[in-house]
This record gives sequence, structure tokens and C-alpha cells, in this order.
Amino acid sequence: MLEFSNPAIFITWLVFLPALAALVIAFLPSRGETLKQISFGVTAVVFLMSVAMIFGSGPTRFRAGVDGMQHMFSVPWIPSFNINYLTGLDGISFPLVVLTAFVSMLAMGASWPIKKYEKGYCILFLLLETGMLGVFCALDFFLFYVFWEVMLLPMYFLIGIWGGPRKEYAAIKFFLYTLVGSVLMLIAILMLYFHSDLRALKSLPPQQVVATGVVNLKLDEAAQQDALQKIYSAELPQHTFNILALQLMGQHTDLFTTPSWYGHSLQWWAFVLLGIGFIIKVPSVPLHTWLPDAHVEAPTPISMILAGVLLKMGGYGLLRICYPICPQAGYDLAYVVCLIGVVSMVYGAFAALAQNDFKRLVAYSSVSHMGYVVLGLGVWSAFAGTQYNPDYWKMGMNGAMFQMIAHGISSPGMFFLVGVVYDRVHHRNLNEFGGLFARMPVYSGIAVGIFFAGLGLPGLCGFIGEVFVVLSVWNYSVALAVISAAVVILTAAYILWAIQRVYLGTEYKGPHGEALTPFTLREFSIAAPLLALAIYFGINPKSLLNYMQPSVDKTVVELTDWTKKHEAAATKPATAETTVKPPHNS
Amino acid sequence: MDVATTLPKLLMIAWLLPLASFAITSLGYSVPQFLGIRVRYSTQVYAAYIAIGAIVLGFVLSCIALFGCWLPAHPLTAASHEGGEHAAAQEHATTSPSLFRYVAQHEAQEAASHAEEHNNEAPPYITGDWYALGIFGKLRLTIGYYIDTLTVTMFAMVTLIASCVHIYAFGYMHDELHDYTDHEVHLADGEHLHRRGRFHRFFQYLSLFSFSMLGICISGNFAMTFVFWELVGICSYFLIGFYIERQSASTAANKAFIVNRIGDFGMLIGLMTIWSTLGTFNFGDMKAADGTVVPGVFSQLHRPENHYRIAPTDSMIAFEGRNQIAEAIRKAGSTEPVAMEATVKAEVARLRAEDGTKWGHLLLFVAGVGIFCGCVGKSAQFPLHVWLPDAMEGPTPVSALVHSATMVAAGVFLVGRSYPLFSAEALLVIAVVGCITLFIAATIAVTQYDIKRVLAYSTVSQLGFMMLALGLGGWVAGLFHLITHAFFKSLLFLCSGSVIHAVHSNDMRHMGGLRKKMPITAYTMLVGCLAIAGVGVPFLAGFSGFHSKDAIVEQALSHWHHNWADGFSWLLFVVPVFSAALTAFYMFRLWYLTFAGEPQDHHRFDHAHESPRSMTGPLVLLAVFAVIAGWGLPSFAPGPFANFSIPNLLEQARPIGTLASKPGVYLSDLFIPSEHIAHAPEMFRPIKLPAGLAAITAAIVGIFLATVIYLWKSVSAAKLAAAMQPLYQLSWHKWWFDELYDFIFVRPVHAISAFIAQVMDRGLIDGIIHTLAWIARGCAMVVSTGGDRWVIDNVVDTFAEKTWNLGLSLRSLQTGRLRQYVMFIVVCTIVLFIVASVWRIAVAGP
Repeated sequence: MLEFSNPAIFITWLVFLPALAALVIAFLPSRGETLKQISFGVTAVVFLMSVAMIFGSGPTRFRAGVDGMQHMFSVPWIPSFNINYLTGLDGISFPLVVLTAFVSMLAMGASWPIKKYEKGYCILFLLLETGMLGVFCALDFFLFYVFWEVMLLPMYFLIGIWGGPRKEYAAIKFFLYTLVGSVLMLIAILMLYFHSDLRALKSLPPQQVVATGVVNLKLDEAAQQDALQKIYSAELPQHTFNILALQLMGQHTDLFTTPSWYGHSLQWWAFVLLGIGFIIKVPSVPLHTWLPDAHVEAPTPISMILAGVLLKMGGYGLLRICYPICPQAGYDLAYVVCLIGVVSMVYGAFAALAQNDFKRLVAYSSVSHMGYVVLGLGVWSAFAGTQYNPDYWKMGMNGAMFQMIAHGISSPGMFFLVGVVYDRVHHRNLNEFGGLFARMPVYSGIAVGIFFAGLGLPGLCGFIGEVFVVLSVWNYSVALAVISAAVVILTAAYILWAIQRVYLGTEYKGPHGEALTPFTLREFSIAAPLLALAIYFGINPKSLLNYMQPSVDKTVVELTDWTKKHEAAATKPATAETTVKPPHNS
Repeated sequence: MDVATTLPKLLMIAWLLPLASFAITSLGYSVPQFLGIRVRYSTQVYAAYIAIGAIVLGFVLSCIALFGCWLPAHPLTAASHEGGEHAAAQEHATTSPSLFRYVAQHEAQEAASHAEEHNNEAPPYITGDWYALGIFGKLRLTIGYYIDTLTVTMFAMVTLIASCVHIYAFGYMHDELHDYTDHEVHLADGEHLHRRGRFHRFFQYLSLFSFSMLGICISGNFAMTFVFWELVGICSYFLIGFYIERQSASTAANKAFIVNRIGDFGMLIGLMTIWSTLGTFNFGDMKAADGTVVPGVFSQLHRPENHYRIAPTDSMIAFEGRNQIAEAIRKAGSTEPVAMEATVKAEVARLRAEDGTKWGHLLLFVAGVGIFCGCVGKSAQFPLHVWLPDAMEGPTPVSALVHSATMVAAGVFLVGRSYPLFSAEALLVIAVVGCITLFIAATIAVTQYDIKRVLAYSTVSQLGFMMLALGLGGWVAGLFHLITHAFFKSLLFLCSGSVIHAVHSNDMRHMGGLRKKMPITAYTMLVGCLAIAGVGVPFLAGFSGFHSKDAIVEQALSHWHHNWADGFSWLLFVVPVFSAALTAFYMFRLWYLTFAGEPQDHHRFDHAHESPRSMTGPLVLLAVFAVIAGWGLPSFAPGPFANFSIPNLLEQARPIGTLASKPGVYLSDLFIPSEHIAHAPEMFRPIKLPAGLAAITAAIVGIFLATVIYLWKSVSAAKLAAAMQPLYQLSWHKWWFDELYDFIFVRPVHAISAFIAQVMDRGLIDGIIHTLAWIARGCAMVVSTGGDRWVIDNVVDTFAEKTWNLGLSLRSLQTGRLRQYVMFIVVCTIVLFIVASVWRIAVAGP
């Protein structure tokens, strides 16, 4: 239970420590300041634990340059349905876990101005963190869904109780949108579950199947083989929620290709249902309208979490679940996915340009920036015309992953910086600012830095993700590439215009000018690390890519192999008919 | 001393010194500020010392790199244009007019004797990677260096001018060393703005800018160029908007950055084309870790088997013909790498043979024009020239360094750097854009009164000259002009800064007669004017601008000569010559209005004084360079100085495969002549002589007209303007470009964004959502009122009521009398017994 050197237990602690702390806090007397200090301490410990996996030594260290799952942990949970508590980390999820822990800590630090029902706030906040960490760690689809829902409720209350004037509207809108997504996801999960069959994996190398964690990982090799043979020799279909096993089934068997409704295969429908769920989360046009409202009404720390972590779950889901499990649907719908990404980029940028509310502008910039993620994931450029060259797709997917982290740094920063002035002057009207540089020089300097990270300035993290994605698109579709490149103009326009209206100019034009006091130490120590990281990743992206790239590349290579098989099979029947039939006739 | 290892280190230090200066001063001044400590002005001065030290040291290192490392290893040779390094196709001989006939025939014979025109290999260069941003399979996105003669030359030029400007700014920005009253900013209460001085910040930005600019020069690949391209953009943004309180300054800064981003959009497209087809961004061939040589962009396009002529690569053809490739792979039926490669190779060969020339050329054109788009933005070429005049909102040293001598020249530099990328059609695009730009800008400069704006438009115009030269095949001519222009234009700007410093006004109508008050400024500026006008003795010597402009005009005439038949290439010669006359005219107009005649504003005149030595020193130094930059040293000069001249330096740097003429592919008539044709001795009469005379005549006519109108005042400028009212209005209003762009771009964009935010987002999408919610609530109401209340509630209520009534009726039974109860029990027992018995008999059998 307390063997911290055991990586599996370490991760379990990492995930559940906030929830445990929430439980403890529930029994403490409600003294606001102390509770926030405790909560901050817990988030800090979680962050340190995640960092310890990077820099620490020993078995809990997360190794860079490894493409497979690390620290896998499995215990049966509901054996009758073959549901396991299965967690693990790879290069795709690990950076997101660290990001989650980091943003949660900063957001808790940004929660000091919250003075209402502090106890409830802290409990919900910590529950939320457990939910988020759990989503990224879970490798069992059912567990994933549970964590996904665990995250939803605290968020609803955090917006609905601690939010701004239209908090009820925003909270219910957020809730319903996400709920629709998760209901669709549940349908897809069940569809996949009831069509899955572990016995179909018999033709694959046993090590590959064992690595998914379908048999007990603690057993020795021989025992694992026995267990596997037992599964293979079962009478009835062996359904599973194991995401890794489902990936193998999607790519190596035709379990999910059976025709379903309206002439589309099962996996096509699963992809669409899951896709809608994830696209809502990203969010992409046209399913994005919950985001501006939720952001505008949410308190600053919750906006930071929302932008920094929650949006990443959509991209994560697409990369971890949609594409690997439903490759054929992904292949057929690649253009649609890319189009959604490009439309979001353009639409979000245009919408941001029209905003007068500072926070709303940042919210739409999120829509635009997350469009890059969707686009980068979708550029399925390894097909016959490109001689199955996976390099550009690798670049796009890695760019998308990088953009998720980069946005996870710049966007919470932007929301926090908006929050800093909002706390002082209690308005966000862009036309009633100005001259903040003279009043709050350090704050303004950091703000300009972080906004430039959002603008995609070289030397800052936003640039890397955007450039990787944009450069990879040409090989997939020239038209989409041209449109996506054009977004750089709009991005510059809305960000520079906002900077001009808020920070530059002669004097402050709005109310409560006397409240514009300089940055406090607490605020500085939240914003400065974000800027420092933005610069660090902008200059040295390899430090991050070293962790994520092997896993992302593995996904791309697997899908490329699948594409080769698929395209070869698609052309076969024509040749097979002409060459094979004659002997039969004679 | 090994040049290949020393030189990159030397230049890297020179490059990183300004960054170090920036980092030190930023931290050194921001941390105390955060702690609430006001930085004293006496401490702020140190920022200038650090920045000046860094850049001057950088200059010293660059000089060591040039004269100590590079030239000893690669000695210059005197320009030789012997031998038939030129050829023109047969048809030119038949269509050329009599003036050209002799030469054309001569050339045709030459061409016949040389089956293939001589073309050049790659110049000497040193290249390598510092570190990788990302590696994806074979794709490597890196930060690295590419050092050839051009790099070293640019380093020396940029650090020299930056050093001058840094030192000059030390004097010029002195106002920022005490509490500053900004007279151009009015507060709400009508007062002027009082603020703390920002001396240190200015030098921080200058340092960052120098770092970024040198980064472009040393860059080893297109990706790194793009990185620093954006960084100089943002430095320019900071420097234009240095007076952040001024609305006009921050608007100009925004405009500059956004207009540049429009160019970058095109550049990104060019980058994508290169990246997707060539799989590398490297300029030079790079040795991989396993010893194999990975060919760079240029050597992929210029292969020895094509005699280093530009040709689309296999990968470009495969990209354009990807459907055919896919079909071939499908037919071959194998996706094994080796088999697939063979299939692709065969298919590409088939495509190449199928349609002699066209496959792949479109991508080549797109790549070239795309990269050029970036240069259009940065070098303020038509149609993106509108930002540069507004950029004059920045302090004058910035205008001198950033917006005339270096950053805006980066566009020209990049065209020069990526020259092997341009097909003949792409070069024509460059030439035409340059020609339009130089003309429009020159016409606008003629009527402006703001001294800095005149210089800004003259910058735009001169950059147009450079682009024109590059586009017409004059690689050396264009870059030569880039370097001479850098000297005389920074000189002119610094002089104008000195004047503005003295009279506190930009308006030339407030000046006049200032040469008596500030002779050094006046006469150094005169040198600058003579240089930009291109004054000199033909075929002998002149001011720096004379030599470079002469080379440009020569190339233009050479181009006309080879494209006689197409009917419009004369414009590419006549328009530049006419604009050269305009240049001489408006520059001398500027000089006369400022320094000659009577003072127009006596109050300002009385307060004017010569600037301090930190400002006049750089002026004198730059004036010297403005005179001599076009000259050369003889072959017997000692050591590395033998044959030293800028054209010889550039000739050594000539990129791979750019010596030969380039015929068009889509435009079969197009012929971009080799630069050496015009230099050949037999071309003296048909090209060199008329070109030289045209250039000098243009300069003299321009200066003469300016003298007549503004010095002798024999003709009234006002009357002249009235006589040519429409033309005057066109020029005065800058061809209404700002208004036009506002109407066709800015407003529609705002309209679209308002439409998307209001109508689409809040109206349509949220409308649908709200309608859904309304329907759901409606259903809920129906269910709750209709279903719940009427049906279910009625059932439940009825049931309850009946139960209640039953209870009421049963109440009468509850009498409390024991005998009655006993009787009930007995009766019930008997009834139950009977029921049970009947049940057993009926159902279970006896």
C-alpha cells in the first residue's frame, strides 16, 4: 500500500491523493485560508511526484525514448464484465499528466482571491484533479469513462457556484454539451465492447498481446502464456474494455469492420460517436459554443484548468482511442477531421478578432489554437501517393501533441493574466483598458511574453507546435495547408490588437483605476513559471519531444502499416477475380 | 588554424554577444523593478555601454572572420569576364534590332561553339547544425549555420552599421535619461504626458534586434531563417512602438507586424513546398552522422548532370504526379520499400519523358514565389509596402538601423540567399514587383514634407531597385546595391535624426538654411544624397551608389536586349532610369529644403545647434563608407586585401548554378540573361555604354531640376503642383493605398469577424442549442403536465382516493367489541380454509 518505489502504486497514489485529501478536508473545520493552503500543498505534492518521475531515479522513473507503456498496473475490478483497474503511462499520456499536475498547482495558487464556500471549493477542486489525472492514466475503457464523468460534476459546480453573473447558464451549457458527448461515447464504448473478442488476437505474437495487460501482469512469463491460452481456448467471445487490446483488434482483425447501420461499418459509427464526444471537448467548430460562456463565467483558476487540461482530453482521446481503434474510419474520415481542425482555426481567429471581452477573446483563441491539434492529428499523409512515407504525419502528430502542451502553458497563462486585472478593476472590456504598462510594468512584461507565446512567436512554445503542424499539412492537402497558413495573419491581428488596447496607450480608460496595483509575489510566482516554460520549450522542444515522440511515432507507424494492408486489400479483389477465377470454372 | 571550425565559432560569438547583452540588461533592470526599486538614470547608462560593447566586439570579430579567416583561405580573384560565359538563343539574333544585331549574331556563334553554357558550381561554404528542433524520420528541423562569403560580408556590414547606430543612439536618446515629457501625447486633462525615461529599454531592444538580424545572416536553413525572420519582425514591432503611449506608434507597430505576417503567409507556403518535396531546409550539403552527405535544397535543384541548371527534382515530380504514382504502386502491387522505390523511379522517369518540361515546374514556381512573398513583406515591396513609412514613428536611430539598412534589407538578402531556388518565371515576378515598387515609392517621395517619410519612401524605392536587379539576373548587382545602400541610407537617416534632434520637428517646411548651424550634418548628408543619386564619372569612379546603380541599369538593359521581342521588357529598363532621376530629384529637394535657402522657422532655427560628437562621429564614418564602398583595391594589395572590392566578394559568393542564363519554361520567350554577358568587352557598346550614360544622365537631370526648383527657385514648386494637380494629389495621398486597403481588406475582415462572432456563434449555433433546449423543456413540460399530472397523477390519486374510501368504510368495523372481533376471526378462518381446499382440489388435484 505504501510501497512508493513500486511504480504502479506510485501512480495510483498520484491519481488518488487529491481525492483522499478532499475526503480529509471534508472533516476539517471550514477555515478558508488554511484549507486553501492544505489544498495547495496537496497539488504541490502531486506535482512534485510527477516531476520526480522525470528527474528521479529508481523504478518510478519514467524513461524517455521508450515507445511502449510504462508502469502498467492492473487489478480486476468487475471481473464478471472483464473490467479492470488498468493504468499505465506512455509518451502520449505522461506529458499530459505532468501538465495536469502543474496547471492544477498553479490554478490552486490562483484560487486565493476566492472567498466563498472555500471548503466546498477545495473539495471539488481536488476531486477534479483526481478525475483529470485518472483520465490520462486509465487504459481500461470503462475506467476511462468513469474518470471522465468524475471530472464533469466538480467542474459543473465549480462554474455554477463560483462563477460570474451568468454562471448558471454557463454551467448548464457546459454540463449538457459534455454530457451529450459522454453519452455518445458510452454508446460507442458498449458497441466496441460487445463486438470485441480477445480470441481474435490469436494470430498475433503472444508478447504483443500480453503487453496490453489482458492477463495478469504480475505473473511470470509461462503463467502469462497459460492464461493467454486459456482465453484463446474459451468457448464464448471474450469481450474486453482494454484500450490497448481494442487497438490491436482494430488494426489487426476485422472484428469492427462488420457492416452496421446505413452501410457504414461498426467502427465508422464508433469513430463518429467517439469523435463527437472528443470534438466537443477540444472544442472544435461547430460544437464549441460552450467554451466562451464557460470561460467567461468561470472563476480564473477554473478557466486555467479548463483551458490548460480539459481541452487536451479531446485531443488525447482522438490520438489514443479514435485513430488506433478505428483506423479504417479514421482513414475514411481523415479529411473531415482535418477540415474540422482548419475551420476551427479560422473561425476561432475571426471570432476572437470581434470580441470586446478580454476573456472571451482568449477563449476563442483557444478554439483557434486547438484547431491546430485536430489538424495535426488528422493529416493522414501516408498513402500510396506519398509512397507510404510516414515522416510528415509523424511531424503533424508530434506537432499536435506539442501544441497541446504548448497551449496548456500559454492558455492558462493568458487566462490568469486576464484574471489578475479583473481582480483589480472588475471589468474585462478591452476598450476600457490601456496604459497598463506604466501602471504594472512587470505584469505587463510577462503578459506580453505569454501572449506572444500564443501568437506563435519563434523562441516561445506556441511556434513549435504550429510550425510542425502547418509544415506537415502540405503533403496531405494543399488547399488545407494554404488556409491553415493564412491563420498566422489573423492570430497576429487579434493578439496585437488586444495588447495595444490593454497594455499600450496613454492612460487607463476604465473604472477603478486606483486599484491597478503592481503584481504581487503570489501572482508573479504563478505567471513567471509559465513564461519560463514557454521560453524553455520554445528554444528546446527536443526536451519534450524526447518523451512524447517515440510513442507518437509508434502510433503513426502502426497506422501506416495498417494503411498499406488496407490499400493493398482494397485493390486486390479486382485482380483476384481475373486471375483466380478461371481455374475454378474449368 | 582550421577555418571550418574557427569561423563558425567566431561568428557564433559575434552573433550571440548581443543576445547576452539583451539577457543581462533585461534581468538586470527587470528584477529591481519588480522589487519596487526605481532604476536610477545613472545606472541606466550601463545598458548602453553593455550593448555598444557587445556590438562593437561583434564587429571586430566579424572583421577578423572576414580578413583573418575567410579571405586568407579563399583569396579573391579579379573579376574576369573573358571567354564565352554567355549565350543567347538563335531566335534573339533574328528579332533584335540593328543596334543589337552585331552582338546577337556574335553571341549566336558563341552559343554554337559552346554546346552547354558555362555554369558555376557551389561557392565555398561551411555548414553544420548546432542542434535539432525536431527529427521525424528523415526530416530534420535544425538550427545551424551556413557560412559563405555572403554571410561573412553581411556580418561585417551589419555589425558596422549597428555599431555606428548604437553609438549614435547614445547621444540621440539622451532625452530618455531624465524624466521625459512627451509632447505628442495629450492626457485627458490636456496636459502632456510625463513619464520616466526608458534609456535602457531602447538598448535592450537594439541588442535583441542585432542578435536576430545576425541570426538571419548566419542561418543554415530556411526554418532557422524563418525563426529569425519573425524575431526581427517582433524587434521591429517593439522599436516602432517604443513610444508606447502614442496611439500612432502602437498602431504603426501593429501595422508593420501584421503586414509582415501577410508576407509570412506566402513564405510559409513556399516553406511547405520545399519541405514536402525536398525533405530538407538546409542551404548546403550536410554530412550526416553516418558519413553520408545529405544534399541541401540548392544542390538538389542544381545537379551536375544538368550542368547545374535548375531543374525540378524527382520528388517534386512525384509530388505533382502523386495520383500516377499511387496508380503505379497499386499496379505493381508491392509496398516493400525497395520495390516501391523502383516503381516510383520508373514512373517519375516516365513522367519526365512524357511531357518534356512541365512536370514539377509549378511547384518550383510556387516555392520561389512563396519565399519571395516573405521578402515582399519584410522589404516593403508593392503591394505590402504600406507599413514602412508608418514605421518612422520609431526613434530615428531605429529607422536608420532597422527600417533602412538592415532588417528591410533582409528581404533582399533572402532573395539573394535563396537565388538558386528561383525559376525564370519566379525571377520575372521578382523583377516586376521590384519595378512597380521602385516607381510608386519614388513618385510618392517627391511630394512629401516629413523628412523621415521622404527617406522611408526612398528606402522602399531603393529596395525595389535591388529586387529588380535580382529578378533580372543581376545577383551581384542587387546585393552590391544592398550593401552600398546600407551605408548611405543609414547615413541619411542618422543625418535626418541629427536635424530632428536640433529643430524638434520632422517637417521640412520648418527647416531651411541649417547648413550654417550644423555643417557636419549638412555636408555628410550631401555625401549621402550624392551617393543615393548615383553621381560619378562614368566608367571611372564615383560615389558608392553610382557603382551599384550602374550595375543594375546595365543588367536591366541586358535583359531588354535579350527579350526584345516581348514588347514590355523595355519598361523594366525605362522605368528604373526614370525613377533614378526622380530619386536624384527628391533627395536634393530634401537637402535644399533642409539645409539651403533661408530659415523658414526662425524660432526653431535659432535653437538649432550641431549635434554632440557621439552623433557626428558615426556620421563622418558612414560618409566615408558611402563614398568608398563601391571602390576596389588592386591585385597587388597586401594579403587578404588583394582585389578587395564588394563586387569581387559577391562574385566569390555567387550561389550554385546562377551564372548561366535562365530560359523560361511556361513563358517560352522569357530569357533571364547571365550577369556576365553585360560585362563582356564586346558588350561595351551595346549595353555598358548606353546604360552608364542613361544612369548618369538621370542623376544629373534629377539634381538639376531640384536645383532649379528648390535652390534657384526659378520655377515655383507650388505652381508646378497646381499645374499637375491630379498627379500631385496621387503622390501626396500615397496613391491612396492605405484607404484602398482599409476598404478592401480591413473592413471586410472586421465585418466577417463580427458576422462570425455575432451571427454565426451567438445567432446560429447558440440559436440551435437554445432551440434544442427549448424543445427539450417543452417536452418536459408536456410530460410533466400532460403525462405526469393527468395520466399518472390521476391514476395515483384515484387509487389513493379509493384506498381512502375503503379505509373509511372499514372504519365502521373497528368497533372495539371483543366478541365481534372473535367472530370475524372465526369467519375469516373458515373462508380461508375453504378457499385453500378449493385451490388444492382445483389446481393441484386431490
